[in-house]
This record gives sequence, C-alpha cells and structure tokens, in this order.
Amino acid sequence: MSRIRDFIEEQFLIEFDETFPESSDLFKEGVMDSFGYIQLIRFLETEYGIKFSEKEMTGGVMVSLTQIEATVAEKVSQRGAASA
Amino acid sequence: MCGIAGILKPNRPAEALGHDIKGMLSRIAHRGPDGYGTLIDDGFAMGTVRLAILDPAGGAQPFGDPSGRYWLCYNGEIYNYRELRTTLEARGFSFRTACDTEVVLAAWIAWGPDCLARFNGGFAFALYDAETGELFLARDRFGKRPLFYAIRGDTVLFASEMKAFLAVPGFSFEQDPDQLSAILAQWTPLPEQSGFFGIKSLGMGAYLSVKDGALTPRAYDSLRFDIGPRVESEEEAIEAIRARLSRSVELRLRSDVEVGVYLSGGVDSAIVAALARDFASKPLSTFSVEFEDAEFDESAEQRLVADHLGTSHHAERIRHADIAAATPEAVFHAEVPAFRSAFVPMYLLSKRTKAEGIKVILSGEGADEAFLGYDLFKETLLRDAWRELPDETRRSRLAQLYPHLSHYGPEDIAAVTGLYAQFSKEKMPGLFSHELRFQNGQFSARLMKEKGDPFRAISELAANAPGFQRLSPVEKAQWLEYKTLLPGYLLSTQGERMSLAHGVENRCPFLDPEVFALATSVNLKFDDGFVEKRLLREAFRGRVPDAITDKRKFPYRAPDAAAFAAERPDYLELVLSADELAKVPFLEPKFASRLAQKVLTKPASEISTKENQTFLYLLSIALLDRAFVRREGLSDPVLPPLDKAVDLTARQAEVSLPREASAR
Repeated sequence: MSRIRDFIEEQFLIEFDETFPESSDLFKEGVMDSFGYIQLIRFLETEYGIKFSEKEMTGGVMVSLTQIEATVAEKVSQRGAASA
Repeated sequence: MCGIAGILKPNRPAEALGHDIKGMLSRIAHRGPDGYGTLIDDGFAMGTVRLAILDPAGGAQPFGDPSGRYWLCYNGEIYNYRELRTTLEARGFSFRTACDTEVVLAAWIAWGPDCLARFNGGFAFALYDAETGELFLARDRFGKRPLFYAIRGDTVLFASEMKAFLAVPGFSFEQDPDQLSAILAQWTPLPEQSGFFGIKSLGMGAYLSVKDGALTPRAYDSLRFDIGPRVESEEEAIEAIRARLSRSVELRLRSDVEVGVYLSGGVDSAIVAALARDFASKPLSTFSVEFEDAEFDESAEQRLVADHLGTSHHAERIRHADIAAATPEAVFHAEVPAFRSAFVPMYLLSKRTKAEGIKVILSGEGADEAFLGYDLFKETLLRDAWRELPDETRRSRLAQLYPHLSHYGPEDIAAVTGLYAQFSKEKMPGLFSHELRFQNGQFSARLMKEKGDPFRAISELAANAPGFQRLSPVEKAQWLEYKTLLPGYLLSTQGERMSLAHGVENRCPFLDPEVFALATSVNLKFDDGFVEKRLLREAFRGRVPDAITDKRKFPYRAPDAAAFAAERPDYLELVLSADELAKVPFLEPKFASRLAQKVLTKPASEISTKENQTFLYLLSIALLDRAFVRREGLSDPVLPPLDKAVDLTARQAEVSLPREASAR
C-alpha cells in the first residue's frame, strides 16, 4: 500500500512522519481539498482496479492515509473473493 | 484622490521634518501626480500628493480653516459634498472653494467625529489641530481608501501606503509570520493587519486620535444589516434598486475631469455603464482587460455592452508575458501578499486608462457582496439546509455552484457531495460560511515554518462584532466578505492600489451606503438566494443586453502559475534558488521549493487552485521581502510640482507657492 502513501506525498507535497502521522485528517490539515480528493479517487480506481459506488462516495469521506489504505485493502480483498 | 503622509516626532526640528515628509510623499507620488503640499509645525509634519479632480485650481492641500487652527490632508472623495455644504452654509459656514476638501474640514469643525457617519464616499484623512497638537486619522466605512500607521519609539507615522515609510530615516520593515499565516489561510489581511511588524492599517469605519503620544482608536460604523427601508413587494424592491443605483452613479459622476467606466463583461459593470451613460453629455469612455488566453477572456461580452451603449471602448489585451513582466511592480504597489495574479492585469489596465487621459473610473465592485453574487452565498444556503434536502437536490445544487471547476461535473459529483456532507454543521463558531475556504487556505499556511493558529484573529473579529451573532448564516457570510476579501483584496490589491499606481481614481457605485442598506434588506426577503443577484438582474433587464443580464457569473480570473511557467522571468530565482529562499527566514524552504518546482513544471491541468494560490503567495512574499525588507530594486522617487507649503513654526498661516518646475 506504499503506493498510496507515495501518491499522497508526491501529489500533496507532504511527508508522513512522527509530526504528521498517517492517521492525520488530510482535510483538516489543509492537505486535501475537493480537487485533490477527486485526483486520489481516480488514482485508486486506476491503480487498484476498484470502483467506488455512488453510495460509498456520498456516504462518507476517507480522511486519513490509514483510513484510505484500509478501505482500499477491503475493496481489493472483496474483489479477489468475488473473482475466486 | 490623493496620497497623504505624516510624521509626529517631538523634538525633531521643523527643517528635518520638512525633509522627512517630502521623502515620504515622494514614495507615494504616483497617487497624486498633479502636485504636493506640506505643513510643518513643531514636532509634526504632514502632506498630500494631489490628484486634482474637484476644483483643480482651488483645492491645494494642506487645507486650513480661516483661523489657521485646523489643517486637513485628505485622500478620496465625499460624493454628497454639495448637500453637506448646503447644510453647513445654513449653519453659518462660508466656503472659498468648490472642492469637497473644504466641506470635510468644515464638517469636522461643525460636528467633530460625528461628521464621518454623514459622509458618503471613499476617504482617508489626517486632521491636525494646531492649537492642541491633536491629530485625527479617519477612514471610510467600507475600507475603500487606505491609511497605515506605525509607532517607533516616540514617533508616530502615517501614510496612504506603507512604502512612504521607506523614506523615514531608520525605519525598517519586517514581515510578521503570524499575520502572514492568517493572510495565507483566509486569503486576505483583516481590517487592521498590514503583514508587517508594527504597522497597522486603520480599520474601516474607524478613526484614531493621537495626542501627547497616546493613540485612541474608535469605530464610527459597525456594518449593520438592519438599517434598510421597509419594502413591501418585489416590484417595490426592484424600483428602489433602480432609483438608488441611479442616484449613486449620478453622485459618483461629480467631477471636474472626465469619468470613465471599467467593463468586465459581467452584469454589474454593465449596469454602472448604462446608468453613467444616462448622465453623459458625450460618448462614455469604457475600458476592459482582454486575455489572449481564451479561458479567462470576456472580450465578446465587453464589446457587446460597449456596442449596445455606444461607448468609446478601449481594450487592453493581456498575454502571459505581460503578467510575468508586470508582477514585481504590481506586488510593490499592492504591498501585501496576493493569492492570485488577477490584480496584475488591473495594474496594466489603469496604466492604459491614464494614457487615454482618464483620471476617474467607475467599476462594479461591491455588487456581489450587496446582492449575493458569489457562489459562496449559495453554498452557505445549501450547506445550512443540507440535512433537510433530498440527495438529488443536494447534488443538482452543488453541480450548479462551480461549473468552471471540472471536478464538479457529473462524473465526480457524488464524491463532491460526500465531501460537502462534512461541512453541513458549524465547526468554527460564527465562521460556518467560510469554513471550507479557510480549510483549503490552510494549505497555503504550510509555507510558514510556524503557522500558529491562522484563524484566531478572524474568530475574535467575528465574536466581538456587535450584532454579528444575530445574523443569519448568509448574512454572516456577507459580513465576513465585507470585512475581509472586499477591503483586503478586491478594493485594495486588485482595486485602489492598482489604479492609484498610475494616478487613476476608482469609484464604486455599489458601495453607496443607501445601496448597501437597501440590498441587505431585500435580498432574501424576495429571493431564495439560489440565482445570484436575481433582483439586481431583474431591475436592469432591458437596460443591458439580455445575454449579459442572463449570463451566469464568470469570476474575474487571470492565468496564475501558468503565466510564469511559460515565461520564466529572472525574478523566479527568488522562489527557485535555495539561497534566495533562505533570505526569507520564516518560510518553510522544502515545501516552498517543492511547490515552486511543481507548479512551474507540471501541466496546468495538474495544478490545483490552492497550489496556484499558494505559489502566488510565495512569489509575492518573496517580492515584498526583496523590495521592503532588503530594499533591493527600488526606483528613485520623484516629487510632483509644489502646490503649497505651510510653515506654522514661522507663524505663517498659509503660504501658497508657485509651481516649481525644478521640483520634478
């Protein structure tokens, strides 16, 4: 999942470390806005071959790297289970 | 319109003060190229550089009352000066000139600071009582004209622009990281902020008395939203809007020199031009910025309005290279960090305006604040009603909010809807309407090594404002716009400072107190607020082309980072070289460097709005540091011809001097 971390660090000009942990709220910290969020979603869908449903999109927002990685991991495993 | 400056320094000899004040005035001579005047007293000097508009022959400053006790250095215009003069004449005052300067002085003598609430105009002035040694500084209610002051030991300085302080012996500038953090995060200085340590901007609607070294600021206007007339129907509201705006334009056409109009291509400036034409005896001169880059260009709409009204139209066509070339000068005139480049074309437009022989222009500034023209207002209404609305309504209204932003399109609107759900409850007390903007603004605050709490000052401003808590969410949004972006960027960086850089006075009919009072009382009474400026558009349907009346708001923008990426001007070394970045000690060099590299190398489609904004902030902070802190690249100032010198220490009440060609 370090590809997500790399994408966020590269795209939003930040570095995760002890002063900026992976659990940081990327919106509250002014790292991500709506434009960045859409860029992130497109990256995740392309990179991991997953799709976020409308319900998932309108239902809640992924705000931290930790949360994003967990969500993607779950969707990837669901996809794997469905195709098995 | 003019520029004023002054210095209060006990025990400094008059001769030395005379030298100091001339130096200060020379730094702001662009504001008043028609002449200058000074007043010198024991321990005090002030002066004016004048842009002669009303009674060019009779209005030389400093202007004294017949007794020689009160002296005025004045910047701006009081549009209702004739009415006030009639009132004052009825009280026994007599007048020597046809200038509003004399009316301001008489009004102060008659009513004291209470006169300020009677003034309909944009002004800043210094009034000196030679008998008591007391100095008053005052500024208009909407923050149209600037006035900065600083205290250094026992010295009090004031000036229309901070650059006047560059001429004061021993005065040094230092950018204030705490203020800068707030400016970066909220897009604009607050009413009293300047961006520099120890320099304050006199607040809008405020005055200051200075006596025996003590400064006492007071507010005379608090931007009340409950003072409008009772209006019973939409038809009555529309009729009143027509009448008051027409009157406002008529008042702002009072001038002894020709008045032109800036046309943006939008409905506000088209209305102003249509109304100005009603009073014009010859074809109205109009001026516009055209962009070579079609994404920003509104030349078709501008020409449509000009043709419809039969104006004598002048267009200044702007290329990326023009923005890149003019930015350092424009930033020097703006004096504060800017979050976009759109002020630079306005700098070039005012240069063109002056070259065409026009000294006064009208513009549509202030209409969006008064008549709910910004998407921010619709966004606030939507977020406030979010929980009660069905999902489809939320989406369709969101999709209509920012159609110029590609990620608000059908493909991504579900994700954007999910994002907005986060902001349907107030998190920052009183700042609900601006929470989204401020959160995005935090990205820019990352330029600072220590960003502190960039929202502390604005939270306190809102919390301490009389009546603010009783306003509705949309009214709070309006109030915040009137207190922040309007004076802190639109009227100043993009407006007054750019036009006065070339000696052009700008006047804003939508900033008439009666227009403001009417608009704020009828907007939501007859409107759901989801069609921007609906009442205003209806009021002028038929007066301007339908294509303009019905046109959706097209925010005035200019190419940002792309303008510099294409041209790579030399001064970009300020933000690309590690050595140069290190000269600005409060900047976070790694973030600044990564940001500059990204926006100057990646395709424009990959650069977000806030990255563009942050780059402009970085560049303007670096340019301000170079010019004001390190004093590099400053041009030699030149004084305009001498109009008047008053030496109170020589017991000469007033001495008028012939123009000195050698003073140029």
